[in-house]
Amino acid sequence: MDTVKLYLRSMKMQLKCQMQYPASFFLQTLAQFVMEAGELLAVILIVDRFESLNQWGAGDLYFFFGLMSVTFYLTECFGRGVTGAFPSMVRSGQVDTLLLRPRGVLTQVMCWAMDPRRFACIAVGTAALILGSRMAAVRWTVLKALALAEAIVLGGVMILGLFLIEGIFVIHSVKSVELVNGLTYGGRSACEYPIDVYPRPLRVLFTVAAPFALVLQVPAAYILGKPLYGWPGWTAFVCPLAGLVSFGTFYALFQRAMRFYRSTGS
Amino acid sequence: MHPPFAARLRSTPIIYRVTGGLSIFFGKPLTEEEKYGKLFFLALSLLLNLYGGTMSYIAVENLCKTFTVRKKREKGKLLREKTVIQALDSVSFSIERGELVGYIGPNGAGKSTTVKILSGILTPDGGSALVGGRVPWKERKAHVRHIGVVFGQRSQLWWDVPIVDSFSLLKDIYRIPEADYKKRLDRLTGALGLEELLRTPLRLLSLGQRMRAELCGSLLHGPELLFLDEPTIGLDAVSKLALRDFLQKENREKGTTILLTTHDMEDIAALCPRVMVLGHGRKLFDGALPDLLSRYDTERVMTVRCDALPPLPEGCRAQREGDAYKIVYHPDENRTADLISLLHQSVPIRELTVQGQNVDHLIAAMYREMDL
Amino acid sequence: MKAYLSAFRMRWKMEVQYRGAVVGGVACQVLFGLILVALYRALYRGRPQSMPLSAITTYVWLQQAFFRMLLSSDPELMDKIRTGGIAYDLCRPLQLYGYYYVRIMAQKMVGSLLRAIPMLAFAALLPEGWGISLPASWPALAVSVCGVALGLLCVSALENISMGFTMRTLDFRGVMALMNLVMTTLSGNILPLTLFPDAWQKVITLLPYAQLLDTPIRLYTGEYALARAPGALAVQAAWTVLLILMGMLLWQRNQRRLIVQGG
Repeated sequence: MDTVKLYLRSMKMQLKCQMQYPASFFLQTLAQFVMEAGELLAVILIVDRFESLNQWGAGDLYFFFGLMSVTFYLTECFGRGVTGAFPSMVRSGQVDTLLLRPRGVLTQVMCWAMDPRRFACIAVGTAALILGSRMAAVRWTVLKALALAEAIVLGGVMILGLFLIEGIFVIHSVKSVELVNGLTYGGRSACEYPIDVYPRPLRVLFTVAAPFALVLQVPAAYILGKPLYGWPGWTAFVCPLAGLVSFGTFYALFQRAMRFYRSTGS
Repeated sequence: MHPPFAARLRSTPIIYRVTGGLSIFFGKPLTEEEKYGKLFFLALSLLLNLYGGTMSYIAVENLCKTFTVRKKREKGKLLREKTVIQALDSVSFSIERGELVGYIGPNGAGKSTTVKILSGILTPDGGSALVGGRVPWKERKAHVRHIGVVFGQRSQLWWDVPIVDSFSLLKDIYRIPEADYKKRLDRLTGALGLEELLRTPLRLLSLGQRMRAELCGSLLHGPELLFLDEPTIGLDAVSKLALRDFLQKENREKGTTILLTTHDMEDIAALCPRVMVLGHGRKLFDGALPDLLSRYDTERVMTVRCDALPPLPEGCRAQREGDAYKIVYHPDENRTADLISLLHQSVPIRELTVQGQNVDHLIAAMYREMDL
Repeated sequence: MKAYLSAFRMRWKMEVQYRGAVVGGVACQVLFGLILVALYRALYRGRPQSMPLSAITTYVWLQQAFFRMLLSSDPELMDKIRTGGIAYDLCRPLQLYGYYYVRIMAQKMVGSLLRAIPMLAFAALLPEGWGISLPASWPALAVSVCGVALGLLCVSALENISMGFTMRTLDFRGVMALMNLVMTTLSGNILPLTLFPDAWQKVITLLPYAQLLDTPIRLYTGEYALARAPGALAVQAAWTVLLILMGMLLWQRNQRRLIVQGG
């Protein structure tokens, strides 16, 4: 429990730190808002021109977009340390400082960099979710709400696992780190739209390697009343567990990478 | 008895103290066998306590570590060449609680590798090391709770934030109880002169102030062992002296074991009764600094203020500097007393001083001789 | 001229050193390209448009290939501004403007060429309706290359202006983020401008952002008929000149309000 307390304290300190430059903070948050609004605009314009995508209507598309947006930016907001700070800490040798403290490395990294500017993106995503659910005339039930919550939480866990890959690559001195971004951010862009429109290789990629489809889209489709591939309702609650599996795999690789780092120094 | 086994038992006193003591006094032995069994446990635990108590605080045996460095790809070759660097080659030593030990050697000798292994950051390739009965890299979290490390060139506090906030975060990270934290913070800020600087962010402090803040941060959790890596680098004279004072007090009053890695010989001379020299990954000397230097302390410099010099015996080199002469000689060949009386008989002397060579010169001579 | 060549050579050496990063980057962009193309194919299946699918895919691939050109490319300069080193350089603002202009241009050019060539090679190998299609005609190709060159000049001018703003406000993250995102949206990176509503397109294509890649691409695909080419190129050139002048003015004014943030 004191880990939670530590995390809250770090967040407070981060916020204080960022608020030291209020103008910059405001500008950056605004930039985030406009950026995400721009992405939403792209979806709106596509809907305007094409009206529907296979069996998915406008509301459905907004819903998918909103869910991905909310989940991804929630994770980025709280886990920014893993994807931004950690790789550069490995390169500069600052990870040694983390190892000198009686806490796990991942715990400390997550406490390190919170990104409250992302709240703007989350706001846009939430708006898209609401808009989408209205337009698709979703009939909300407790089960559907649970599915949504599960999707967001486990989606966050999965994305955190994907963020870990970059750190792992850097520790093993792999030069082409950018490749990782393709999986994470490519997955985000791709899975803003329902996955059954993509050809098979892409579908497999985002179901097995980075299971966005299983964790986010199966529940979303269930909520919208148009199950993906026609799968039964219970899959909406079981498939997101793939997020845990995915995270577990990358976390194990991360531990292995840390062992490697500790045997080779910096 | 195998040290790690004894160490493990010693570090879990609950087990044998309970089995030994309570079972005798609170359990009613039902049979003769049970009674002897419990007596046996008590005797065993006492023996282990005794044995454990005689073990060194830091025990390093045959520590080895190699690094593979890959060089840039050369033209015409497919694979990059690898060079294997032996950073540590069978290093052994032991340090007791409360010692203040200096650790010197040329760059690349393996000093920071040793510190990294002893603090649990790095895993060695061979040999063993025990600190307080624990293997540092195997029980990292438990081990790190009891040590403090200060790097001269890397900061462990947060950059943009007032140092008091850094300290309170460290309090959470190390799970320091509130009362202990307040007490230690007051004592350390007082001893290090940080009271007025508490609200200043780290980036606005001068180098000396930053070092004091780092030291404070590394001692907040009351570690029994402190590693210092080049702490006085870049500091002005006043700060250096203040730092040495502080370290000495810390060692004397709190019994903190200190391992000091530095290139500044004045630090070593002022603080460390014991010095270890490391070169090419091997321990070359372990003892008192005067003993180390006496081997290389073969020259004396006599500075004489007079008008002219008489002819000097062989083995003396003389040089005029300003209105004085500097005579460099070996006291083994020409005794100082003889030289002085020679000069006194020949010329009126206005002033005469005799000095040993600068500590840095001696160390350089030592490195040369040891081929470092 | 010599400065230009040396900046170019220096940048080339740097980029070639990080071969792995380039390879990774190209792979990443290719993946993005494939995803976008798959998406538009699915959309077109549902509701075919007047514009042929191959034009859209060409658009996507060209955008992705030259994406590097749009990105803010000089973190060194940002750092210099932040730490105040720029103060010394600001004593001669116009020369400085020219120097950094050339530097930024070299960075963008090398960065994008290194990535564009392999990407376009890959895209050319893809089947029809997936990859890049041939230019409308040889003159169209020639004209679009001019368009890309002008676009490069234009975007370098834009970036120099944002640097100028950074020097004023000493806040680089906010400005950079805003610039980047406006750039990517309105230049057609997120969604091809050709898919924007027709009414919007009339306005957007006049903005400088569209001049960067949208215009050259449309010249390439033949959407802008050859007759329109001189007009389109003229608009590009006009914006470029205007932005350069604005940039120079800004840098000159910055010299007067010298704010040194010491370390």
